[in-house]
Formats: sequence, structure tokens, C-alpha cells
Amino acid sequence: MSSAAIAEETVVWWDFLGGGDGVRMKQMISDFNAAHEGEITIDATTLEWGVPFYSKVQTSVAVGEAPDIMTYHASRIPLAVEQGVLQEITADDMSKMGLNKSDYADATYDAVSIDGKQYAVPIDTHPIVLYYNKDLLAAAGMLTEDGRPKGMDSREAFTATLKALKDNGVQFPLGSVTADGNFMFRTIYSLMGQQDGELMTDGEFLAGDNAAKLENALSVLQEWTNEGLQSTYTDYPATVALFTSGEAAMMINGVWEVPTMADAYSNGTLFEWGAVELPVIFDHPSTYADSHTFAIPANQGGETSDAKHAAVLEVISWISKNSLFWATAGHIPAYGPVTASAEYQAMEPNATYSSLTANMIFDPKTPLAGVAGPIFDVMSSYFVPTLNGEMSPAEAVEEIKYELNDM
Amino acid sequence: MLRNRRIEGLMALALISPFLAIYGLVFVYPTIKMFMLSFTDAPLIGAGDWVGLENYERLPRDRRFHTSLWNTFYFIVLTVIPGTLIALAIALGVSRLKGWLQSFVLALFFLPYILPVSVVYLIWDWTLNFQFGIAMHLLDWLGLDRVPVTKSTDWFMPAIGVVTIWWTAGFSILLLLAARRAIPVEIYEAASLDNSGGWSTFSRITWPLMWPVTALVLTIQLILQMKIFDQVYLFSQGGRPNDNMVLVYYVFQRAFQSNQGGRAAAVAVVLFFIVIVVSVMNFQLTRLSRGRDK
Repeated sequence: MSSAAIAEETVVWWDFLGGGDGVRMKQMISDFNAAHEGEITIDATTLEWGVPFYSKVQTSVAVGEAPDIMTYHASRIPLAVEQGVLQEITADDMSKMGLNKSDYADATYDAVSIDGKQYAVPIDTHPIVLYYNKDLLAAAGMLTEDGRPKGMDSREAFTATLKALKDNGVQFPLGSVTADGNFMFRTIYSLMGQQDGELMTDGEFLAGDNAAKLENALSVLQEWTNEGLQSTYTDYPATVALFTSGEAAMMINGVWEVPTMADAYSNGTLFEWGAVELPVIFDHPSTYADSHTFAIPANQGGETSDAKHAAVLEVISWISKNSLFWATAGHIPAYGPVTASAEYQAMEPNATYSSLTANMIFDPKTPLAGVAGPIFDVMSSYFVPTLNGEMSPAEAVEEIKYELNDM
Repeated sequence: MLRNRRIEGLMALALISPFLAIYGLVFVYPTIKMFMLSFTDAPLIGAGDWVGLENYERLPRDRRFHTSLWNTFYFIVLTVIPGTLIALAIALGVSRLKGWLQSFVLALFFLPYILPVSVVYLIWDWTLNFQFGIAMHLLDWLGLDRVPVTKSTDWFMPAIGVVTIWWTAGFSILLLLAARRAIPVEIYEAASLDNSGGWSTFSRITWPLMWPVTALVLTIQLILQMKIFDQVYLFSQGGRPNDNMVLVYYVFQRAFQSNQGGRAAAVAVVLFFIVIVVSVMNFQLTRLSRGRDK
């Protein structure tokens, strides 16, 4: 750095990362600031995840008080574009950042684009995975030579694995977040994807045989409940607790719980564990994923200076290229060169489940979709009774279809 | 003389004008805006096109609106009168205690009222948790089946009702205790000289003399519970929000989650009129009964 007076740029940053990943992101921000001393400083604030965050973004953009950069869920981009809160990321921006479309998985890149325009830069994908307790599986004879669960390739085989665990005295072979339909959306949507089912086609919800595919997905989960193979009325924290205490042998949860397990394991308070791609219950592998992205708010009434814009691009570029550390939060870095690196390939269980990147499906592209969005709420209200055996899958599908199409 | 009157009037107006200005800005203007919005298809932020009565015409077919309407009234029935009667019983009980014991017991009942709703939620959510909740262990011990309280439609509203009474009773107790203390002790002395029994003392002295305050407590409770949002929002998160929908939550959902400002405004207008009608009815009823005592 020459001593020439270069105005230091402050980049105002908002995110919603409150958990273990938030701690890691704060570390990355301070690393960034250290690496750009005298040039760029990130001034970061963490807001509450979900509806509060997105409402605040929308109102702040409208009055011209938005941050310079923010984290955004890919699933929320269709609504954001309709509301006009995001700036387009141009080809010119991408080349300034030194990032290429080819560095990203097609599904991920597609999730941040609407009508051929790019609105965000993906930083990661965070799918759901199957966590498992190696000790309990081994005791039930359900662990393969290379330490993976048996019966991952069909509905019958996986159900047999669950039954073997039950017969071996495990109270809950599978811990599922059955009290939280918002969460179960991810599992159910994955199971629909395994049958090539789609939630929305040509603006209509559950058209044609998509309704039957949703019903199949619900039927499997209800069967596991009825057979006593799955925890009932379990909310999110309780599900994690059942798994870590050894009462549930397996758990379907997001990759963001990886740090929880890794930390507990290194403290010596957790059993031998692993995480793999979801079992193939239907035709082929498929897993629901969402993506954390960086987006630039379309602030009303204020033109951003070129220097500021360049600083924002530098932030996105630097974080993307240094996202190996972000992988310790469990998320799969979206930037290809990072996941292809030898360091990432040596990270476990991350490298094992990152294979599912090829089988990812994202939310339907509609303004009604996305975390904490209306589709979530509608489906959630019918998932909970169905998964706990209060309502038949057929009835649930009929109700969901009616309500979604009524929105 | 007359000029003084007028100056006094102007003075009074000048004194309340800052308040009136703020009131107009934060209440009157948004209310008018809400009425106008309800006839458009506006998103949450920004302008929309005029659609006439369309938002209102959708309400009779709107399942979530029915649910929220029903749940709101159900909740009022569950909480307002039972909650006030419980508070009255506790207030009368506490009024018989003496000295530090009275302060202590009163503090005990008042404590939940000063808790923020998020803390109330955490306490009860873990108490009622299906896997780990102490309430479930109690059911086990009694040999009964566990109940997924906050995740079932049958139990949700009653449970939230109980939590709400527990949470808000403190304030009602305080008001009712003050009302009880305001009754001159001579009246009770006269009653005991006339050999008045417990029930007749209560029904002919305590109840009528405490009625104005009881009516006030009922009114406060009624308006408060009609606008219930926080408890339902917190307890139904992730569970079955659309089954546990109440009117304010529905307005919130339409506006902030579905980005449909116009449709949200229409529901808000309906809620506005419900609150006004119920409040007016309530004033009439309580005034009528007060008239009886003359």
C-alpha cells in the first residue's frame, strides 16, 4: 500500500446467521477486515432469521436505508425480484470478481437466476442429510464394512434397517422433526424429487400425478410413524437431543448440525457418528437444498459510488474464494474450486455427503416459496397431523392442493 | 369572562396539540390508509391497482379467515370471563392475608406479568414438550397418555388460554385488589352486626361495590385478547400455524409472508369493526348493569 490517501470504504453488511455458522462467518469477516486494512471495512450486523429479516430488508430498501450487501436465501429470490429489492449481478460484475458460471453447479446457479438474469452469488448449498450413530447401527448389524448404514437403496431395505434397530432395543430408529412441518417440508420435497415430482408446474400446484407423488412421500413417513420407527411430535431441538443422547439411532437434519456433532465428538461427549446422503426411497437419489447467497439490495433513491460497488464485489469475491472455512459450518461451498480442493476432500463427513450436489433440487420458483414463506405454512399445517398419524395422506394432499391453489 | 373562557379553551387545545398531531400521524392516517389499501391489490410495500371489493369477496371462501375468526372468538370465550373470575378469586383471597405475607403472595402472582412473552413461551414450551416436558412426565406418572399440546388442534387454544391467564392475571389481580381495599371496612362491620353470611356479604356488598373495576378489567381483557398475536405466533411456529390462526396473525401472514398488502388490509378492516362492535356492546352491557345498582 502506498501512503496515498485512499478513502477507506465501509461496507454495511446484514446477515441472518445466528447459529454455529454465524460464529464462523464473524471469523471470516474479521479475517477479511485484517486482509483489507486501510481499504475496506465490513460493518456487520446479524438480524433474526426468517420473516423478521426479510421484512426488514424490504422496508429498508423502500426507504433507501438498506445495507450494501446481505445474505439471502436462494429460495426467497423469486419473491425478492417481484418486490424489486435486489440489484442484478451483471456479467461485468462476475468478471470483476473473477468468478465464472462454470464454477457453480447448474442447479445452484439456476436457483439464483430469474428469466436469465442473475440476482445473487451463491456462497453455499445446505441440503439435508442422514446422520447416524455408528455404535447403534453396528450393534444391530446394520453397518457396512466401510462404516455406512445398510439399506440405503430402497424403501423396503431402509424400513428393514429401521426395524432391525427397533428389534435391537433402540427406542427411535429414526429421529424426525415431526412436530415441525416447516422442517419436514425439506424431507418430503426430497422424497417427491426422488419420483421426479414437482410442486408447481405452469403456475399450478400439484397438477397431474404430482399429487400422487406427494401422497407417496407422506405415506412412507406415516408408515414409519405407525410402525413405531420414528419419533412423533418432536420439535427441532428435541430431535437433535434425541440423536445426541443416543435415543434415536438416525436423524434427518440439515448439514448445519455438523459443527454441533463435530464439537461434541472432539470433546469426547459423542459416539462415533457419520452423515450421508438421504436413502433412496423411490426411483433415484434426490435431496432438497437451499442456498445462502450474497445479494446487493436495490436501494431506492441512492446511487452507489463506483468505489463502493467495487468494495462490495471484493467482499463477495474474497468470501467465495475463501469459503473452505465456511465448510466447517457443514454447508457445502458453492464455489467449485473450493470443493475440488484437496483440503475439502479431506474434510469428513463433508466430503462424503458433498456427492449429493449432483442430486440437488431447489424450491419451486414462485414468490410464494422459500423459507418462512406461505407455501411452508400451508403445507406445514397438514404435514404435522399426517406424520403423526392423525390424518390420512390422501386427505392431506387434497387439502394442501386446495389451499395452495387458492393462494 | 367569555374571552377568558375562549383563551382557556385555546390554551387547552394548544396543550394537547402535540399529542393530537402524533395521534393523527401514527393512528388516524394509517387507519384511513388501511381502508384505502383494502380496495387495491397492493403488495406489502408500493402501490397497487384498484380492485374494488374483490379482497372482501374472497373472505367468505377463505378457509384461513374462517379458522382465524373462529379461533379468535374461541380464545375470548376461554380467557376473558374465566380469567377475570380467577383473578377476582385470587384478589379476594390475597386481601384476607396480612402484612408481608400479602405482599409476598401478591408478588408471586404478579411475577409472570412482567415477563416478556418470549420468556413465557420458553418456559411453557419446554414444560409441555412432548419428549422432555415435565408435564408429560407427570402424565406418565398418572398413567395417562402423553398429549402433544402445542402441536394438536384440539389442545392448542385451551393451552394458550391457560398460559395467557397465567401470564396476564397479575395485572387484573392488582386492580381488583385495589378495588376490594377501597371498600370501607365499616360496611363489613355493619353487615356482620346484621348477621350477614359469607355469600350474602359477597353478593350484596363486595360484588356490587367492586363491579365498576371488574367491568374495567373485563373490558381491558376483552380488547387485549381480541388482538392476540404473540403467543399464537410463538407457540405455533413450525407446528400448524394455519390451524391455530387468529385474526391478527392472519393479517401479519398475508402482509409479511404472502406480500399481499391489500388482502391483509381487508382482514384488518374486518378486525377493526369487530373490535369496535364488541367494545361498544361491552360498554353497553357494563353500563346497564351499573345502572341497576342505583
